[in-house]
Amino acid sequence: MEHEFPFNLDSIHINGSVMTTWAIMLMLALVAWLSTRRLSLLPTPLQTLMESIVTIMDESILAVAPENGRRILPLIATLWIFLTVANLVSLIPTLHSPTRDLSVTSALAILVFLSVHWFGIKTQGIKKHLHHYITPSPILLPFHIISEFTRTLALAIRLFGNMMSLETAAMLVLLVAGFLAPIPILMLHIIEALVQAYIFGTLALIYLASAIQTQQHQPPLE
Amino acid sequence: MSMEFDFSTFILEMLNFLVLVWILQRLFYKPLLATIAQRKLHIEDTLAKAQSVQQEAETQRELYENRQKLWEQEKQIALVALHQDLDTERRAQFDLLQKELEQERQRNQANLSRQQHEFEQHAQQLALKNAARFAHILVQHTASAELETKLVQFLVEQLKTLPDTLNASFQRLQNPPVVNISSAFPLDAIYRQQLADCFSTLIVLPLTFHYAEEAMLLAGLRIELGSWVLQANLQHELSGFAELAHDFE
Repeated sequence: MEHEFPFNLDSIHINGSVMTTWAIMLMLALVAWLSTRRLSLLPTPLQTLMESIVTIMDESILAVAPENGRRILPLIATLWIFLTVANLVSLIPTLHSPTRDLSVTSALAILVFLSVHWFGIKTQGIKKHLHHYITPSPILLPFHIISEFTRTLALAIRLFGNMMSLETAAMLVLLVAGFLAPIPILMLHIIEALVQAYIFGTLALIYLASAIQTQQHQPPLE
Repeated sequence: MSMEFDFSTFILEMLNFLVLVWILQRLFYKPLLATIAQRKLHIEDTLAKAQSVQQEAETQRELYENRQKLWEQEKQIALVALHQDLDTERRAQFDLLQKELEQERQRNQANLSRQQHEFEQHAQQLALKNAARFAHILVQHTASAELETKLVQFLVEQLKTLPDTLNASFQRLQNPPVVNISSAFPLDAIYRQQLADCFSTLIVLPLTFHYAEEAMLLAGLRIELGSWVLQANLQHELSGFAELAHDFE
């Protein structure tokens, strides 16, 4: 899409990924507004579906972070929803998934990285948050720092690589095999898109949960 | 091209995602979670109310069962009391009935006795009447001068042996009395003399004798001396039967 809709706004370069993201945002906001404008204790089918989605995500997050799950729910749930929709966008002809753009996956990975420290400091304080880098031994500090950057990089690269390769493979199969052959590939695309969204969100959840609950569940040192 | 890192896209995507988080938090998670929480609260409240109602129902059931037991006990007590009352009332009614029956029996017995007594009286009266009638017929056919003579002789004998009280009363007479002597048959002079002698012995005053005949006397005499009347005849004796029969009426 970046080939079709790139334009410059002074120094800001808006490409197809950003445009698609905005479209997804608009669609999600519209769906959210439509599904929650008339909430009642006796739910409609749409409300039931939405409540089920939120309940599943809420229970999954609370299973990993029972004490502070509600604080990180908006971030993790939004990651799952956005990535699922963004990964599946490429099923629509002429559109490309934003997650096949390294800038997009990097932005999300950096956000997760920043969120880990933001929630860690906010929950435990900066001293306790930084203390876990030298736990159980200060020797592990470089490894912790390397781990912080590598897992962020892995987040970005994993999602970007999977989605890009998936689209490329689908395009190649379509070019080589003709009309009916891409159908299994499209099904694989759907599964892969869901799995990648789940993996990204779950990893982000684990990083955040480990940051905000590491000190809380450790037994006191004698 | 997508493998190239574009800083503008990087920054815009970060901002986009943060905006999306904010939008979904406002429009999606918050209201849905609030509704879910409200529904949970409503369900818990309903469950609590249901438990409360169930508990109240259990309490009411226990209360009802206890009350039912009490009612059963009260019913048994009332039944026993009722049976006792019925027995007492039955006994009292039975005693009363027995008493009334006894009274009725006595009343019937009295009536029977009275009826029997009346029957006996009636029979006696009838017998006496019959006897009087029979005696009257018999005497009427058997009465004769000889019988009268025997009666006169018997009278004379009796006048000689009067009790002293009667003799004293004759002695106290002031005026010379008239002695009226009635007979069924003509009285012989011999007997007239015997009678005069007897009265002269009894009464010192001079006496006047009048003799008369009355067939109604059948046989015998009737002697009137002032207020004193001496009946020595069959008619008088027969009239005794009639009087006796009259006394029974």
